[in-house]
Amino acid sequence: MTAPVIPAALISSLSRIVGDDGVIRDPERLLVYESDGLTQYRHAPAAVVLPRTTEEVAAVVKELAAGGRAFVARGAGTGLSGGALAVAGAVVIATTRMNRVLEVDVENRRARVQPGTVNSHLTRESLPHGFFYAPDPSSQSACTIGGNVAENSGGPHCLKYGVTSRYVTGLTVVLPDGEVVSFGGTGVEEDPYDLVGLFVGSEGCFGIATEVEVTLTPVPEAAAALLAIFDRLEDAARAVTRIIARGLLPAALEIVDGETIRAVESSVFAAGYPTDAEAALVVEFDGVEDSLAEELAAAEACCRDEGAREVRKAASDEEREALWRGRKKAFGAMGRIAPDLLVQDATVPRTRLPAVLERIMEIGRRYDLKVANVFHAGDGNLHPNILFDRRNREELARVEQASKEMMQACVDAGGTITGEHGVGVDKKEYMGLIYSRSVLETMEEVRRVFDPAGLSNPGKVLPGSIRSAIRGAEEDAVARV
Amino acid sequence: MRFDEALQSQEEAILNCVHCGFCLPACPTYVRLGDEADSPRGRLHLMRAVVEGRLDPGSDAFQDHIGRCLGCRACEPVCPSGVQYGMLLERARQVATSARPPARLTRLLLALVRRDGVRRLWLGSSRLLRDLGIPEGLLARLPEGPISSRMKTALAMLASSAPSTLSIGAPNGAEEVASRSGSPNGSGFGAGVSVGLLEGCVQKGLFGRVNRATERVLGANGYRVVSVRSQGCCGALHAHAGDLTAAREMARRNIAAFEEAGVDLVAVNAAGCGAAMVDYGHLLSGDAEWGGRARSFAGRVRDVSQLLTGGDEVLRGAPLPLRVAYDPPCHLLHAQKIRHEPLRMLEAIPELEVVAVPNGDECCGGAGIYGLTHPELGGRIGSDKVEAVVATGAPWLATGNPGCIMQIGAGLRIAEAKVEVCHPVELLDESYRRGGVYEGRRGAEGAASVDPDPGRGSPLDERAETGAVPRPGGA
Ligand SMILES: Cc1cc2nc3c(=O)[nH]c(=O)nc-3n(C[C@H](O)[C@H](O)[C@H](O)COP(=O)(O)OP(=O)(O)OC[C@H]3O[C@@H](n4cnc5c(N)ncnc54)[C@H](O)[C@@H]3O)c2cc1C
Ligand code: SF4
Ligand code: SF4
Repeated sequence: MTAPVIPAALISSLSRIVGDDGVIRDPERLLVYESDGLTQYRHAPAAVVLPRTTEEVAAVVKELAAGGRAFVARGAGTGLSGGALAVAGAVVIATTRMNRVLEVDVENRRARVQPGTVNSHLTRESLPHGFFYAPDPSSQSACTIGGNVAENSGGPHCLKYGVTSRYVTGLTVVLPDGEVVSFGGTGVEEDPYDLVGLFVGSEGCFGIATEVEVTLTPVPEAAAALLAIFDRLEDAARAVTRIIARGLLPAALEIVDGETIRAVESSVFAAGYPTDAEAALVVEFDGVEDSLAEELAAAEACCRDEGAREVRKAASDEEREALWRGRKKAFGAMGRIAPDLLVQDATVPRTRLPAVLERIMEIGRRYDLKVANVFHAGDGNLHPNILFDRRNREELARVEQASKEMMQACVDAGGTITGEHGVGVDKKEYMGLIYSRSVLETMEEVRRVFDPAGLSNPGKVLPGSIRSAIRGAEEDAVARV
Repeated sequence: MRFDEALQSQEEAILNCVHCGFCLPACPTYVRLGDEADSPRGRLHLMRAVVEGRLDPGSDAFQDHIGRCLGCRACEPVCPSGVQYGMLLERARQVATSARPPARLTRLLLALVRRDGVRRLWLGSSRLLRDLGIPEGLLARLPEGPISSRMKTALAMLASSAPSTLSIGAPNGAEEVASRSGSPNGSGFGAGVSVGLLEGCVQKGLFGRVNRATERVLGANGYRVVSVRSQGCCGALHAHAGDLTAAREMARRNIAAFEEAGVDLVAVNAAGCGAAMVDYGHLLSGDAEWGGRARSFAGRVRDVSQLLTGGDEVLRGAPLPLRVAYDPPCHLLHAQKIRHEPLRMLEAIPELEVVAVPNGDECCGGAGIYGLTHPELGGRIGSDKVEAVVATGAPWLATGNPGCIMQIGAGLRIAEAKVEVCHPVELLDESYRRGGVYEGRRGAEGAASVDPDPGRGSPLDERAETGAVPRPGGA
């Protein structure tokens, strides 16, 4: 699969805009752009452009649009749905050189950043002012605000604080024809239509965000956490429901299952979770110092009522860090026990968690696959991880099949096919499971308002049968490994 | 043997990379260039493509991007999957250099350190030039221009290897010798453990004073410092450049030398050498005869700061009322995960104020010979470091690696910043000297047997055997 040839004239006009060192066209160098965080899909772009400013992005997009060439924004490429994959001869516009925090406006509790700013860097810059940026995907040390906006990303602490859409207040966007527009922004929050809200979660299909204004959150006075150990995964899930039902609002409620615990404990990242347990639940509270002890005690009671065999509490930051360690290292530790990992992402109503987990494990057993769960339980956001080795073709087929059935199980339980990783290429054929044809067609109409020519991130989100302007054949050339 | 064998055999290690991207923001080349091919994940992807037969290791893509890696290993501690990037990079370099011979400059520099005689001549004449103040003089006279800018860097680096004003008046000669017999009033934290010091090549040639300081402070703390003859260069530069054959040869030589000396521990004061030596086990893993010996050797390697982090037990010196910025060398911090030890070692110096260099975890751009092979990018990374150092406002900078001392020192010199650079152990040594720790041993037993050229090994072993080194509670 070679990258589509790109005309030399186009390369030189792009170089004129961003400089010679801002255009990558050598197919061998482009290999590294063939995947995002989901390596099951591979397709190299026709070229990569590295602009530095909104004006450069606009000029690049104009140039590409004039030639009818598609383009895809790429942040850090940590996406887990193949969203940043460049199909249909698309050119990648990477925001890695647009990584500055432009302003921390303490009075208005706002920050303005370039889209390539790494999520945790924004928090790092805000902390000295007593603020942080609340949405914290587990990938926060690497993923970009632009990618977060496109995926409407969540994270462990979004249970209490809410996901990205709650924090984005203004956007500068280069539309797919190269026009620069701004939505929202301090002072003009009250746009008649919430265009900011519309853009957030559009997975790169409505244009490229080149500046993002977000709300910052004051750092809570204190935080405390507990770790509850269970002999049954369902019990941990039930404890989650009980905690919420009790009216408690933890900052985070995360479950790590037995398979994952054993993976972590057998790796260099051992965190001291008991390896004979079937689940560990991390509950964290933050807020005013005085209320924490009470909340923690209440949460502990909930866990014990559901059969927790052990509860560890952490007061100091270091102890808290230690409790979290097993959760935070889970993804990497799994990478150590199998060469490939399919991270699924689905959301179910919280009360259905125990039943759905049971079904997921049953599917895994039936297909003879290792399945490990680590997830944002408080949100009902499941992440069954299927471990495999892509060099084993036969196993791969089982992974595909099992993955599909797991999705179906979540949908049957009244859930949806993605919690936070987006649809991208990976889930687009599942869209029909939850949306009727007319709803999908409406989505396509909305997309066309932004991108009538179908140039912005083609081949994503909507199933092929719906999208009007997709260049079908090329799109199918994506290698599914 | 297929030339890409070196990577082929490491396929599992490459597959440990789950492509999560966590390493991207830690990488100095990626942060500056913004091209994924210049990131750890990108480089691993290229290695994987070579293994899969999709990429020719002689291609510009592989050559450029593998070549542009600093080898700083900042990508390792942030990797949730524990990818052994440093090890893989060495293999990739080997594959790259077999596919296409490295640039002449690289070959020349490596040849210079490889042969003992050549190295001694090169470093000796460099030292002579330096001590005559020649680089300083030339620096002032060089015209502006790209060629002279590389020259300038080289000269400034050489000039920066000169002793700081700290060591003016430092003990030498008889006084120095006396000190090596151990501390008269030390608490003996080292408890008579025998250590052999890796003298290093650049370290020995241009930073002999740091080696002597290391011996003194270890001796003062009760370690029995034994001279290890027939040791040589650690092989780090060769391994980083992909010449694993030469690196293995050097490793074997050092293992044999230290085994023969029979020391309990191997002390190192150059982070780059330490990082290479703790990896000897890996380097010789396929070697039936040497594999086990290499692992046991690697397990005994200690940075000097690790030998002196005993809290209250480390001998305290006289006050040194200085404000010193500390910059951790990558090969200490990332490659050996030694973060706190140097700071704790410096706690033994009363009134020393240590401040952190902002973004100190980032490489200084020295990276062995990087500053010379990639002047432009190395220069950018270097000037950011210089800016960060200057921002601390401290008139002193301490860092525990000769390459970093020269790289940052050169940058500071070119920027005309008034900051002096030294090795942390020199600070401790100075504090001991001012505290009289080394006094009172003048003319101690055995002084007459001292070899006048400390570079060729100290007679400490003999003296130590006569029991001159005080044991805890002794003297
Ligand atoms: C280990 C791991 C843990 C993760 N944990 C979480 C988690 O807890 N929660 C969560 O929500 N996600 C998580 N993710 C997924 C991923 O990190 C998020 O989706 C993240 O927002 C992607 O950001 P990115 O910069 O890497 O974007 P990319 O992967 O580069 O791109 C993602 C999408 O955004 C588009 N895009 C990028 N920049 C722009 C822009 N400026 N304008 C318009 N569109 C743009 C791209 O076209 C693409 O469609 C995780 C991923 C990994 C690898
Ligand atoms: S952090 Fe580790 S696993 Fe993740 S991309 Fe980098 S090297 Fe690979
Ligand atoms: S060693 Fe340093 S320069 Fe090389 S990939 Fe890792 S972080 Fe980047």
